[in-house]
Amino acid sequence: MDILMKALYLLIFPGLLYCSVAGLLLAGIDRKVVARMQKRIGPPLLQPAYDFFKLLGKETIVPAAAARRTFLAAPVIGLVSLVVTAVLVPVFGFSAFGGVADVVVILYLLTIPAVAIIMGGAASGSPYAGVGISREMVTMMAYELPLVIVLLAVGKAAGDGGVTFSLSKIVEYQQANGPLITHWTMWPAALAMLLVIPAEIGSHPFDVAEAETEICEGALVEYSGAPLALFKLSSAIKLYIMTALFSCLFLSGWGTGIVAVDALILVAVCAVIMLICVSLVRAVCARLKVEILFRFYWRVVAVLAAISLILAWLVG
Amino acid sequence: MFKKLIDNSTAKSPWIYHINAGSCNGCDIELVAVLTPRYDAERFGFKLAGTPRHADIVVVSGPVTSQSKERLIRTLEQVPEPRVIVSLGSCPRSCNVFKGSYSVEGPLDKFCHVDISVAGCAPKPEAIVLGLAQAAQLLKQKREEAAQK
Amino acid sequence: MIRFPYVREALTQVFSKPSTEKYPFVKKEAPENYRGRIKFHPDRCINCGMCIRVCSPGAIVRTVEKQEDGDLVTMEFHMDSCTFCQMCADFCTKNSIELTKDYEMVASDPKDLIESGTFLKKKPVPKKPISDELPPAPKVDDPEM
Repeated sequence: MDILMKALYLLIFPGLLYCSVAGLLLAGIDRKVVARMQKRIGPPLLQPAYDFFKLLGKETIVPAAAARRTFLAAPVIGLVSLVVTAVLVPVFGFSAFGGVADVVVILYLLTIPAVAIIMGGAASGSPYAGVGISREMVTMMAYELPLVIVLLAVGKAAGDGGVTFSLSKIVEYQQANGPLITHWTMWPAALAMLLVIPAEIGSHPFDVAEAETEICEGALVEYSGAPLALFKLSSAIKLYIMTALFSCLFLSGWGTGIVAVDALILVAVCAVIMLICVSLVRAVCARLKVEILFRFYWRVVAVLAAISLILAWLVG
Repeated sequence: MFKKLIDNSTAKSPWIYHINAGSCNGCDIELVAVLTPRYDAERFGFKLAGTPRHADIVVVSGPVTSQSKERLIRTLEQVPEPRVIVSLGSCPRSCNVFKGSYSVEGPLDKFCHVDISVAGCAPKPEAIVLGLAQAAQLLKQKREEAAQK
Repeated sequence: MIRFPYVREALTQVFSKPSTEKYPFVKKEAPENYRGRIKFHPDRCINCGMCIRVCSPGAIVRTVEKQEDGDLVTMEFHMDSCTFCQMCADFCTKNSIELTKDYEMVASDPKDLIESGTFLKKKPVPKKPISDELPPAPKVDDPEM
């Protein structure tokens, strides 16, 4: 019975089925809203789902110069780690595995999909992929630092005395004292997290790792068919996870007790966060160069997060 | 059950890859005009893919010149099945005014099977949208045939 | 630093009407004097061959079949080779070539892109033969008489 419940959590809610449906829906909303901002009718809302199913029907070609097993295993590793992360992020107070994992585990798990893309690109045997993965590595280094500082700041504000790393404690603190975003000391951290989200999911203007026209799609250049479908699905799920993490850290604490209604409300809140930090920025910005991206994250975003950390130590 | 879903999705999400085999760029400009807000082809799901391995529909413009012949053949082989090849403009069909030149190898028919041609010099963006929509339906047919084998 | 221009336009355009022309559902008419698909009127053609001389890509092909009362002439205009420069229509002495406003030339079969027309050019009627008799000599006043 216990095994059955765990399998249900892993595969249906909040596991594979729920986060892929939520991720694909969010990706569809993002494309449609970006199109409307650019004064055109965009694709239908379910377009990422059509893309995913079409890619399942295409032929898979493994190039002769590629390392075959790593090439085919990389997308699976990325997808599996993302599903595990999605299971660990609480849905407004409902935590699937009883809060066994904390923020540090999620941080480590979130690096695995990026490493999976790097592995896949390195196994492709193409120079375009080589350039793409070196840029992806620089981007990863750039946004990990502010993310860690934001998590420390939130942990300090939500812990009594020390720094708490447990997500369920953070949710309980917000249930008692209101969402963390209402504290004025947390505003720089929220802004820093909003700027980290587009880099993590690879959207304009921080998508230098996946530059289409410049390096023929970077790390994914030799992928086709089912492995590519898994990569596209993982980037959609990452969108859901990052926005759900933001809402858990800063906007949590309220919500009805019913799990099904909470899940729908969470998707709606994720959509609103995504519109602010991903769609608006994507519609108006051009792509940044890799050096400028690095400088931006370490000078501006990390400093914002650090301000919040200092204020949380001094005031809270 | 999944098969029908995959077949229907193939017509709704065709990704385009553009090859310029020596064209004068007139047809290329009209092709990227199709993706602008005025003639928005993205509402049918079209998207420019960055690499031929991601593409379903390959759009070729220009008479095939000697320098681009090898590269064209190599790139066309990298496109996974099912695929549709569309020739854009009158150059790939018959080399237009460049017929008989020392550096023009010949019409696209000599190198691969052309499924749909959009004629015009340069074709109007609406005609390109019509051609691409027909190509998407043809793609669905090819996918159904391939699935039955 | 990063500047964010066009933010106001992006936010207001979400709520206004998109400027996309819904092409396959609403057909748009081409502008005046648009050079589209060729329409050939075979009844006006006189087989002078000026259009073939003037065509830059050589897209016009003429086949002639000799028959008893004249020539059966077939003119084929290959749209997949045409540049739409309108020189043939300008040079045609009898206005039998016309470029219409049809811009939808999409075909999977190359035969759909050939416009052709056939007409019969009759042999010219021969003139009446001159008779064998000589005409009478004209009357001339003899100045010596």
